[in-house]
Amino acid sequence: MLSNLVAGGDRLLVLALILPVASLMLAFVLGGRHAERIALATLPIGLAVAVAIAAAVLHGDAPLHTDLGGWAPPLGVALRADGLSAIMLLTTAVVMVAVGLFARADFQVPPGTTESRAPFAFWTLLLALWAALNAVFLGEDLFNLYVALELLTFAAIPLVCLDGRAQTLAAALRYLVFALLGSVLYLLGAALLYGAYGTLDIGQLAARIGGDPLEPAALIAAALMTAGLLAKTALFPVHLWLPPAHAGAPAAASALLSALAVKASFFLILRIWFDVMPELLAQMAAQVLAALGAAAILFGGVLALRQARLKMLIAYSTIAQIGYLFLIFPLVASPETAPLAELRNAPGAWTGGALQLVSHACAKAAMFMAAGLIAASLGHDRIRDLGGIGRALPMTLFAFGIAGMSLMGLPPSGGFMAKWLLLLAAMQCGQWWWMLVILAGGLLTGAYLYRVLATALSTQGPSPVLVKPVDRSREWVVLGLALISVLLGLVPLSSFSLIQIGRDVSGIGVGLP
Amino acid sequence: MNFNLLFALALATPVALLLACLWRPARERMLSLLVLAPLPALAVALVALLDADAMPALMLDPGRQIGLSLDQPGAILLGVAALLWSAAGAYAATYLRGKPHGGRFAIFWLLTLTGSLGVFVAADLLSFYLTFALVSLAAWGLVAHDDTPGARRAGVIYLLLAVVGEVLLLLAFVLLDVASPGASLAIDTVVATLPESPWLAATLALLIAGFGLKAGLAPLHVWLPVAHPAAPMPASAVLSGVIVKAGIIGLIRFLPWDAGLDWWGAALTGIGLVTAFYAVAMGIVQSNPKTVLAYSTASQMGLVAAILGMGLAVGDREAVTAGTVYAAHHLLAKGALFLAVGVFAATARRRLWPVLVPAAILALGFAGLPPTGGFLAKLAAKPVLGSGLVGLLASLAAAGSTLLMIHFLYRAAASASPDPGARAAAGLVWPWWLLFLAALLLPWTLAPLAGLSPWSVMTDRSLLWSGLWPILAGGVLALALQRWGARLPRVPEGDLLALFTGSPRWANAVGEMLERTETWLRQWPVAGLSLLILTLVLWLPMLTRP
Repeated sequence: MLSNLVAGGDRLLVLALILPVASLMLAFVLGGRHAERIALATLPIGLAVAVAIAAAVLHGDAPLHTDLGGWAPPLGVALRADGLSAIMLLTTAVVMVAVGLFARADFQVPPGTTESRAPFAFWTLLLALWAALNAVFLGEDLFNLYVALELLTFAAIPLVCLDGRAQTLAAALRYLVFALLGSVLYLLGAALLYGAYGTLDIGQLAARIGGDPLEPAALIAAALMTAGLLAKTALFPVHLWLPPAHAGAPAAASALLSALAVKASFFLILRIWFDVMPELLAQMAAQVLAALGAAAILFGGVLALRQARLKMLIAYSTIAQIGYLFLIFPLVASPETAPLAELRNAPGAWTGGALQLVSHACAKAAMFMAAGLIAASLGHDRIRDLGGIGRALPMTLFAFGIAGMSLMGLPPSGGFMAKWLLLLAAMQCGQWWWMLVILAGGLLTGAYLYRVLATALSTQGPSPVLVKPVDRSREWVVLGLALISVLLGLVPLSSFSLIQIGRDVSGIGVGLP
Repeated sequence: MNFNLLFALALATPVALLLACLWRPARERMLSLLVLAPLPALAVALVALLDADAMPALMLDPGRQIGLSLDQPGAILLGVAALLWSAAGAYAATYLRGKPHGGRFAIFWLLTLTGSLGVFVAADLLSFYLTFALVSLAAWGLVAHDDTPGARRAGVIYLLLAVVGEVLLLLAFVLLDVASPGASLAIDTVVATLPESPWLAATLALLIAGFGLKAGLAPLHVWLPVAHPAAPMPASAVLSGVIVKAGIIGLIRFLPWDAGLDWWGAALTGIGLVTAFYAVAMGIVQSNPKTVLAYSTASQMGLVAAILGMGLAVGDREAVTAGTVYAAHHLLAKGALFLAVGVFAATARRRLWPVLVPAAILALGFAGLPPTGGFLAKLAAKPVLGSGLVGLLASLAAAGSTLLMIHFLYRAAASASPDPGARAAAGLVWPWWLLFLAALLLPWTLAPLAGLSPWSVMTDRSLLWSGLWPILAGGVLALALQRWGARLPRVPEGDLLALFTGSPRWANAVGEMLERTETWLRQWPVAGLSLLILTLVLWLPMLTRP
């Protein structure tokens, strides 16, 4: 059966793209209550498709590849799923399913009406976001990726201002303007590349750029595209739009935005530097990117510590956690290997980075949803007044706590494995200074989580008054997602080989025993 | 029963009880089950010690050698730790009966218990780090349980230093792993290649600092006298008895015993001896009997570190055995004395003698009073410490211990219940008696491991005298303390901590500065400009390519 999967793998890729788009169309046409039903029905199918793709890649031990309509690039458009894409598709599907189940209570069409604005918008935007994310993870053509990014932006922005308050509208506007600025830069870069090399297919571009002496246009294009994508990823110091947007959105939307939306543009930065540009160039940009990442870790951590509201704290924590992702650039692209490094076969920075992507996605979605439950049942999310929540909502707080454990990098969580691998890689390539940043970031994370948890566990003072009872099934969803982020750390290291499939990463210790 | 299955049960039992806590009725009754949680571990240790060939091992990932295993030092410490956990668990059921938040206490207790037993059996870097982190961090819930301002402050200080320790050890483990050529993460394998590591000095410094912090070595002992007294009585017993031993087993497992690192050994011995004396000096000016006991723990762990340091210097594994026996005796006796403090507080002054006499025997056991278990522990350490300067200093430290413990007995007797009819509940008294007998007698069963025969020891006058004179000297010092002690300056709990009260202001200034930066960065012109600069910064280095 598995070999059938591999054989039909190319069709699976098309399916992953078409399924959310078709559901989106259908939801638009039928409208009303059907939007929710269609979205909910799409969730398990989408998850199954993502699992099938991951299984096919793992079993076939090679990336899946297909040319849409049988037209090969540069005329046609190619789709490709290597190990990392497969994992991102799977993570997206898992988070989508969890958020979908969680959001049912918030976005129901009230009885007696046929359609209301917020539920209709939410469910269609969820499908649109999913379509955009899958297109980003599968795309092989820089222009198509641009289209996918735009779709992503335009699905994400209305999610921010679903409740229509002036404050969230302002946040959404800020997000819109900055994301469009990023798009312009990206498009400019893509146009330059097309002018210089006559193709936008990633595989062909890589071959042409690698073969010739580098055109000056390629340098400018790489810088422009990266800067544009950084603006969309909200890496320090161009993160201005993220905290108000992620903290202001409804909990379910915040979870999608923080867990998935910012990862899409990060994924494209990875592809530009490791799939398009020659290795030597990557080494030069890598130090800049990692330095910004390090600044983000420290800056985001300190600011998270100083927030008064829980959702703002989680949003600043996202800024810090995004920083970790950028540390993998100098570690994967490092030309040096430590004296003993070639002797061992450790999964290196690449696996650590991918693990950080996945575990942060699950943990952060769980935290935003837990914060949403707390805010809904208390009527506020002021950290100072969270006393006694540990008794009132033990399960929600437990889920928040273990998701935080993964974020902080405590064993046995996925976050711990990610940081352990990044620390090993940093030491192996002699760049020990990144270790200090990783550890300092962990301390800051611990500090801001302590602030929340110690207040919540406090037994002093009166029990909190719940304005709304909390729904047990929603608590289970949050707990499930948080548990996934922890259990990732218990998966034996050798089974992470999926992440490496289709990657000839030049850095250290790629192969597995 | 299959031994490996029993071995798995040792950790699975507390985990299963933890999972049962998810169910509210079970959580509310969990306090009375705490006594049972460590019993499988106790059985494992007994079987392993009776039959040295039957050391169990469970490998979860044979390729990287991730799993659990037991060796002799591990089995000794696992056994006595399980005994203390069980007795303290029984004590807790009575001590906390009728008080609120028993369920939460039980959860943190079981978490700490799992980690605490786990450090003695973890065979690889990752399992060790996991269990070490568990015991360190979960114990916060025990320290801060009372939720008074004092307990909260103690909790913050405890957690802060515990996390610093975690960071030091994580760095050390990364260095160990990177320097080891194979894929194996087994502790023996990575430690075997440590002497050839290019980062030997950094690794050893991080290991000694990280584990020394947990064991209470100066100057990183400051959390101990703050955290141990803040916890409820049974939790103090396990904190001071078992949890500091996570640092000792760490030193035993991770130092390269065969390498003969004379400078590092001397340094560890030096740190240990300084701690042994410094903690006595800080302890005799404390008035809370629990604080005095906590300082005594730091002092005793200093001696264990001195023993291990002597072995490290000459590449002598005998030191490991001696250190283990010493630590095992301290574990039982210190646990028993903390439980006794609770018994004192619940007993009327006129009924105090039946508690005070055994407590005095145990207390002087730390100084090596014959024929207590402490005497045996000192004898086992004697050949390692030698008869030179270090041996003399260790004897003087024993005199210091006598002084400190007599001070403790005074303070503990003064804390007796003012109610003339007060009588301690049976549930408090029997765990204390059990531990008293265990601390007195069990170390003698370990005598053959240290190459000693109980009978010949007890008939050797020179040995008896070597055990007695520090106690007599300490007694004279104690008389002097009674006479002039009031003139000594008071030192706050956690001595050196008092120097660090100014730091929040500095941290606040940094935080405010970053907040201002954030406001500035979020202005539109600044954000646009930073995007532009970012593009240039990414582009310019590429122009300089070779």
